[in-house]
Amino acid sequence: MNTPRRPRSAPGAAGTPKGMNAATKTTDPVRWVGRGLVALAGLLLVCFPLLSDDIYYQNMIILSLVFAVGASGLSIIAGYAGYISLGQGAFIGVGGYTIGVLATKVPGASAWWWVPVAGVVGGLLALVLGLVSLRSRGPSFVIITVAFLFLVQVIAVNWVSLTGGTAGVTLPLPTWDRDILNWPFHYALVAILAVQLLMAWWIRRTKLRMGLIAIREDETKAATIGINLPVEKVIAFVASSFFVGMAGAVYGYYLTFIDPRGMFSILLSVQIVLALLIGGKASLWGPVLGAFIIEPLNEIANNNLGGGNTRLFLFGGLLVAVVIFLPQGILPAIEELIDKARNRGKAGLSGARIGTGGSLASLTASLTIAEREPDAAPRPLLEVNGLTKSFGGFTAVDGASLVVPEGSITGLIGPNGSGKTTLFNLIDDTIRADSGEVRLAGERIDGLPSWSRAHRGLGRTFQITRLFGDLTVLENVVAAQRSFSLAQLGRIAVSGPEASAAEELLEYVGMRAYRDQKARALSYGQQKMVELAQVLMLDPKLILLDEPAGGINPVLIDRMGEMIRELNSYGKTFLIVEHNMPFVLGLCDPVHVLSRGRTMASGTPEEIQADPAVIDAYLGDDFLLDAAADTEPKVSL
Amino acid sequence: MSELIQNLVLGLLLGGVYALAAAGLSLIFGVMRVINIAHGAFLVLAAFITYTLWHAVGLDPLVATVLTMVVVFALGWLTYQALVRPIRTAPMSSTVLLTFGLALVLEGAMGEIWGNSSTAIRPSYADESFTLGAIFIPKAQLYGGLLAIVVLVVLWLVLTKTWLGRAIRAAAANPASAELVGIKVSAVAATVFGLGIAAAGAGGSITGVLYPFVPGSHYQWIARMLAIVVLGGLGSLNGAVLGAVIFGLAEVLTSAYVSPEWATAVPYAIVFAVLLFRPQGLLGTRLREDAVMA
Repeated sequence: MNTPRRPRSAPGAAGTPKGMNAATKTTDPVRWVGRGLVALAGLLLVCFPLLSDDIYYQNMIILSLVFAVGASGLSIIAGYAGYISLGQGAFIGVGGYTIGVLATKVPGASAWWWVPVAGVVGGLLALVLGLVSLRSRGPSFVIITVAFLFLVQVIAVNWVSLTGGTAGVTLPLPTWDRDILNWPFHYALVAILAVQLLMAWWIRRTKLRMGLIAIREDETKAATIGINLPVEKVIAFVASSFFVGMAGAVYGYYLTFIDPRGMFSILLSVQIVLALLIGGKASLWGPVLGAFIIEPLNEIANNNLGGGNTRLFLFGGLLVAVVIFLPQGILPAIEELIDKARNRGKAGLSGARIGTGGSLASLTASLTIAEREPDAAPRPLLEVNGLTKSFGGFTAVDGASLVVPEGSITGLIGPNGSGKTTLFNLIDDTIRADSGEVRLAGERIDGLPSWSRAHRGLGRTFQITRLFGDLTVLENVVAAQRSFSLAQLGRIAVSGPEASAAEELLEYVGMRAYRDQKARALSYGQQKMVELAQVLMLDPKLILLDEPAGGINPVLIDRMGEMIRELNSYGKTFLIVEHNMPFVLGLCDPVHVLSRGRTMASGTPEEIQADPAVIDAYLGDDFLLDAAADTEPKVSL
Repeated sequence: MSELIQNLVLGLLLGGVYALAAAGLSLIFGVMRVINIAHGAFLVLAAFITYTLWHAVGLDPLVATVLTMVVVFALGWLTYQALVRPIRTAPMSSTVLLTFGLALVLEGAMGEIWGNSSTAIRPSYADESFTLGAIFIPKAQLYGGLLAIVVLVVLWLVLTKTWLGRAIRAAAANPASAELVGIKVSAVAATVFGLGIAAAGAGGSITGVLYPFVPGSHYQWIARMLAIVVLGGLGSLNGAVLGAVIFGLAEVLTSAYVSPEWATAVPYAIVFAVLLFRPQGLLGTRLREDAVMA
């Protein structure tokens, strides 16, 4: 998978490689052309009813606006968080029903009052769907959303006293002048779309979006860097449907007739998904562009091509074609082309030397040197007691117990399959232990989810690095969430103090030059460094490193050792799993040995090396001979 | 009492037919992690093909099933090669969207070819039944249920007793290693896709005799089949059979004793509840997610 591409280590290879076009972004002409186009489209949209009184086109624009709100809402949950929903139409339908039912039950009030109410109802319904998403992901989630749509439809059909069943609901007719009949609908939808886009634009810049993208890329990993999965997902679900409910209400009022077949048609949801996919899932303007492509197609299919079966052909076929040929969508595809054209001939960063680090002002500034009595035994920071996990009949971790003293660099060694990584997974709740106790700084954390453990000061890297491949290096680091608060979710992620703290950490691990590269483009060793910076962003008390020296070159191994020592001197405690014996034995004290899921020995490196049971189970007789033969530290490559 | 027994028997026979239809869906998911939303559309398509074989050629619909299976096997094989194979590495949600699009295209195609009005296959024995004391078993139901069980047993034998079956299971367990020991994984996958859809096709031919259908029926079918495989555990063939029997009984009993209107909500409610409370289903195993995926 990851072929380690080793950075050239020619001495004195000077020069910091240039960052991607980061500095030029604000004055970028392409960007201005894009903005101009958007402004022009916005202007046209606002003036449209003044320019044309053709009902056919007015209708087309109104429906396109409804689609655009729906698709833009969907982009928050499907584009950022990766939860593709075929039930988005349900929120339009529920919005329509809210206004329909309320307008007929409360005859005195203007129907416009019910539009925001429909937003609230849509949001509440999304809350339910959001709660569902906590339990299922990927394809099961898509299925659940279809079931959700049909279930809502069945309820609308059968709850006759409220919804009028299959006969539907007829709203009171609009009371304003017939000459400007469609104007209020048009402008209400333009306003809703504007607010929806404003929200989407704002979310794009926040830590919430980083969290959602992290969820899309790797949910388990996201939890370990402090991302509160349920809260962020539920927020995203509600955000993705509130304005859609409102748009649905306006749509319902516009139609003045609402029935279950029309409002909860699966084709409506398919068209919204299509608009999203065609325009570009995670882009701001893509879903709007998609909506203004799909809706007119829908009208053409209905009016000129015979409707019915042709629509099915058209939209089914489009869905197939888009998934196969244009998975990223129009706008991202154009962006990619422009980027490619501009970067042609410019040298990439591959092969550039990893920097040698900088200061750690952000870590050292807040540092308080603990007064330690030299004689007193150090306080245990992490205590693991009788931790057990079975997979079917196989017990991977079988009552493991160990202590990591505060301020230590503790090693954890053992043969392959002895349960080291599983033990890490249990400590940070990547998987939940069957039984046993975990204490961090005296506090029991075994009942807590990963993100709470991260907030309490537990950081962890993975054996096979798990960066978010589609995010840049910088974004990977700022994605980490040190603590949880709603205010923090709203914080701007990609600039300001968050970003500068992240850059400092990248500088420290020597990866600042790669700031704007996609993480997937990095070599394995580079990814290890970035993952370390990401974990440091949590400002953890205890850092679990899973094979920090595995699969990276000797120079980087030395640098890794240096960094661990330096961080340790700033008060970070480490627990390290590693097979590179010289590395472990030179760095760690104490060392625990795991065998068959149990701690079989603990002690100083010297004691461990001399322990006959450890030599028998893990080190082997050769190790002693080798160690005797050469005094140079041996490095496994 | 005899009414209850009759309903139970009918539920079991219906469960057999459901098991056949859902087994294909589960098989396809188990081997290639693709949730084939077009499965219901292929089932209805098979019903239409059987209708034509019966109506235009005069074949007995249950005999025509064999021919229909061959046709839809070929369609399934083609679908895999032309559509699913190009996006094998894409995220699973993409294949869900793709097969959903395919289902819409098939629905449109069936509407064009056979029309959107209700179609029924009615062989001479459609209204006859066997009487056993106070219990009536319609002949079509009995023949259909038995045929479903026979096809299911054949499918099971293929999967457990033949080289192809072992190749399929090897490809499911670890595609890369299967390739290394000389199994052409993409050929196996295409065969599985064809087999799975052929199973749905057999189910479609049989249910075409039992109920009238329209192109849009595929939504109900895919909902039913998803409910069944989700209930039994995605990817587990035994689970699909168990889920189908439970589901067949539940459906017959709900429409007999509660109300046929709300019975349409049963599959959606099951999908919702199972995915929420026991996402692995009755017989499925939770995947170990932490193991290194290299």
